[in-house]
Amino acid sequence: MSDVLYLAWRYLAHHRIKTAILLFSVTLILYLPNGLNVLIDQSASQLTARAASTPLLVGAKGSPLELVLNSLYFESDPPETTTWEQLQRVRDTGFASTIPLYVRFKARNFPIVGTDLGYFDARGLELAHGRMMAVPGECVLGWDVAEELNLGPGDHLISSPESVFDLAGIYPLKMHVVGVLARAHSPDDRGIFVDVKTTWIIQGLGHGHQDLSRPEAASGVLSRSENTIVANASVVQYNEITTGNMASFHFHGDLSAFPLTAIIAIPADDKSRALLMGRFENPEETQQIVRPTAVMDELLETILTIQSYVVAAVLMVGAGTLATAALVFMLSLRLRQREIETMTRIGGSRATIIAVLAAEIASVIAASAAVAALLTFLTGQFGSAVIRNFILT
Amino acid sequence: MVRFFGLAGVAGLLLAGCVEKTPEQPAPEDSRLTVYSVNYPLHYFSQRIGGRQVIAVFPTPVDVDPALWTPSPDTVAAYQDADLIFLNGAGYARWVGLATLPEARMINTSHAFEDRYIELEATVTHTHGPMGDLGGNHSHTGFALTTWLDLRLAKLQARAITDALIKMRPAVAETFEARFGQLAGELDALDARLVTAAEQLEDTPIVFSHPVYEYLQRRYGLNGRSVHWEPDETPGMRQWRELDELLRTHDARWMVWEAEPAADTQAGLESRGIGSLVFSPVANTPVSGDFLAVMDAQISALETAATGL
Amino acid sequence: MINIRQLRFRYPTGTFRLRIEKLDIAQGEKVAVAGPSGSGKTTLLNLIAGIVLPDSGCITTGETRITDLDERARREFRVCRIGMVFQEFELLEYLNVLDNILLPYRISPALTLDQSVRERARKLAVDVGIEDKLRRLPRQLSQGERQRVAVCRAMLTRPRLLLADEPTGNLDMDNKDRVLDILEEQATAAGATLITVTHDRDLLHRFSRVIDFADLRETGA
Repeated sequence: MSDVLYLAWRYLAHHRIKTAILLFSVTLILYLPNGLNVLIDQSASQLTARAASTPLLVGAKGSPLELVLNSLYFESDPPETTTWEQLQRVRDTGFASTIPLYVRFKARNFPIVGTDLGYFDARGLELAHGRMMAVPGECVLGWDVAEELNLGPGDHLISSPESVFDLAGIYPLKMHVVGVLARAHSPDDRGIFVDVKTTWIIQGLGHGHQDLSRPEAASGVLSRSENTIVANASVVQYNEITTGNMASFHFHGDLSAFPLTAIIAIPADDKSRALLMGRFENPEETQQIVRPTAVMDELLETILTIQSYVVAAVLMVGAGTLATAALVFMLSLRLRQREIETMTRIGGSRATIIAVLAAEIASVIAASAAVAALLTFLTGQFGSAVIRNFILT
Repeated sequence: MVRFFGLAGVAGLLLAGCVEKTPEQPAPEDSRLTVYSVNYPLHYFSQRIGGRQVIAVFPTPVDVDPALWTPSPDTVAAYQDADLIFLNGAGYARWVGLATLPEARMINTSHAFEDRYIELEATVTHTHGPMGDLGGNHSHTGFALTTWLDLRLAKLQARAITDALIKMRPAVAETFEARFGQLAGELDALDARLVTAAEQLEDTPIVFSHPVYEYLQRRYGLNGRSVHWEPDETPGMRQWRELDELLRTHDARWMVWEAEPAADTQAGLESRGIGSLVFSPVANTPVSGDFLAVMDAQISALETAATGL
Repeated sequence: MINIRQLRFRYPTGTFRLRIEKLDIAQGEKVAVAGPSGSGKTTLLNLIAGIVLPDSGCITTGETRITDLDERARREFRVCRIGMVFQEFELLEYLNVLDNILLPYRISPALTLDQSVRERARKLAVDVGIEDKLRRLPRQLSQGERQRVAVCRAMLTRPRLLLADEPTGNLDMDNKDRVLDILEEQATAAGATLITVTHDRDLLHRFSRVIDFADLRETGA
């Protein structure tokens, strides 16, 4: 057997280009369907896990997929906004605890996630450095944000204006980094987490400025009556919240109308979930309540359908490649007829000669299978990271 | 026979040891609840009701009005770690509305009587621009804050604290209930005394040095009007004139103060036939005594004043 | 050593027919079988080697009646007892010189490749003057060197019979002599019978016996 393998090895090594091409082709045929399956299974698992940890989402009526993608992955344009009133509505039912989400703004291309402390408990997020945000203007960074921007507690980060020309509305807020989350291997790694009130301040629904009743703010006063002071545009508004000016920060307008992109609802039990969902079944309802798992399952079904086609295509190409490889081998046999005849003439056993030829094929297939198995294993090990870093982000 | 009685005696001692109630020991550290409060009365109630089962924290400095205090971010972070955060409600402690606190562990102790908040007349507000707020006028009517001065409402706030503690530690529910019962009885007693004193006052006009007695006034039917005088500041001429103007239609015999007023101020009041009566809202930790002790002393002073009329 | 009696052979296709009534070659003889190209000399070697069987008649090599053996037995006999050298050398291009020499031992279960065989191969390489080229591939050798490798391969099994089919057909004059010298030396040293098939009449003087192939065979219509 060792002689057979030796002769096969020498032949393959001598014709290294041909061997490499065969190896590459067969490896691809063997790896692609498996690797694809592993990658898609992992994608599905990750998508499903993220969705499974988010029982219900409430938002304005519209695309459920957009609502889910924005809320779970901080991707896609922000959906139509819902309101704080709706959050209170869900809370008042007593069927679920609620977590607000306002994911609209960005800072240095990372999403700013306006939420509350409940989000971190719900997602099982832990701090690696520093502490949680305590007051408006403070932020906690996801692991990847901190690494890529080289930021940590004590640093600051400025929110990006939505438009360079948006002079009257959303303006940059200088946020103070107070904490960094431990790596979560999820989209949370790329989030900048703030209290939802901070996002409202970014939007301009709240601000801080000089005390208009004080003499030093006189230049900012447009008019004054007994109980009302009207400020003009020159009043100095703070673009950074500090311990010195925090007390001046306030909100204008009705809090119940303040915007959110979504509300995470965590029902106490299945019955509560059913009852809560029933509250949104009215045809005139302006809000929607979705189960992220159902939305993702639908998306995955589409992906899996595509996957079937892709796998079928890969298999067909694979069959063609195998047929080509077989043809190459048969042609090669013809070219080696003289070599085979020589070995026969000098007394080589037919079985040995056949074994040598078979060993060449088997070696290529075995090596390809080994490489394909290794690639599949590596896909299993690192596919999650690839998915997170290059596909889901 | 001797052996039998000996064994019986040993068994009896063992049984007695099982039946005998062990003295109350502090609960192990890791099972004690850490509870934070935004004002002293709630802090006092949580101490009385929680006993050794809680670590009650009230971080507001003693020389600051808790309603106006803004904690540092680090102090807010400490609030975040609490097992329970007792809020007063009615907009008390504005900083709570801005801070990031765990919603699930915040207890609005006045939730049960939100419909009985006292709404205040409009104070000075501001708007931006000639058109006002685009989203609607920004008005700060707000509510009166010192809910606990109505001792029935204080009892309801103590009840809310009790319910929250029981929810966290149902095994000790009986103990919490017993302590609440005791506290409630003391609050009821004080309430009854205040009712009697107020009845003795009948409709006697009084002046409140500061608009912080709304709930006291409503509950006990006091005929009071408020000015804006500080105990440690001598009123200026304008303030005396405003008081005189007030006295024309509201002939008060007492001015109720949050703290001992300045001697000059007292003299000026006495020249107008007005006595000074200290009735602190006890929003912050008293220099000496506790909430009930201070209230007891104050009510006694009020009773004396009422009797003297 | 080789005895052929009443041999009749005919290819299934074509008109070629071979008929040998009697042919004896003694052990250790150096015999040349001469004849024009395409006359069937290679077929004779194939018959003697047992690569093909005659339609009738018998061929005996030593004490073994080749014509009575099945194909497997004939292969084993061939690889163990007969060495073959070809006109085109027939080296495997992907094996180096040493591996080409050792080839019979790798392709037949009847032979066992061990250290003594390797040493014998190296000695043969020394004998024919290619000991410094053991790691080279055939394409890196001259024609003469390749044929010497083929001779080593043929001699490695210590055959009793050495069949050379036009061994100098692709060599220049100098190399022809040299290769023939080597063949003779190796055959003599091994006490083997050497049958060389050639169409080159200029080489016939080197052989003690020349068999004219035209005298051996019959062609028929």
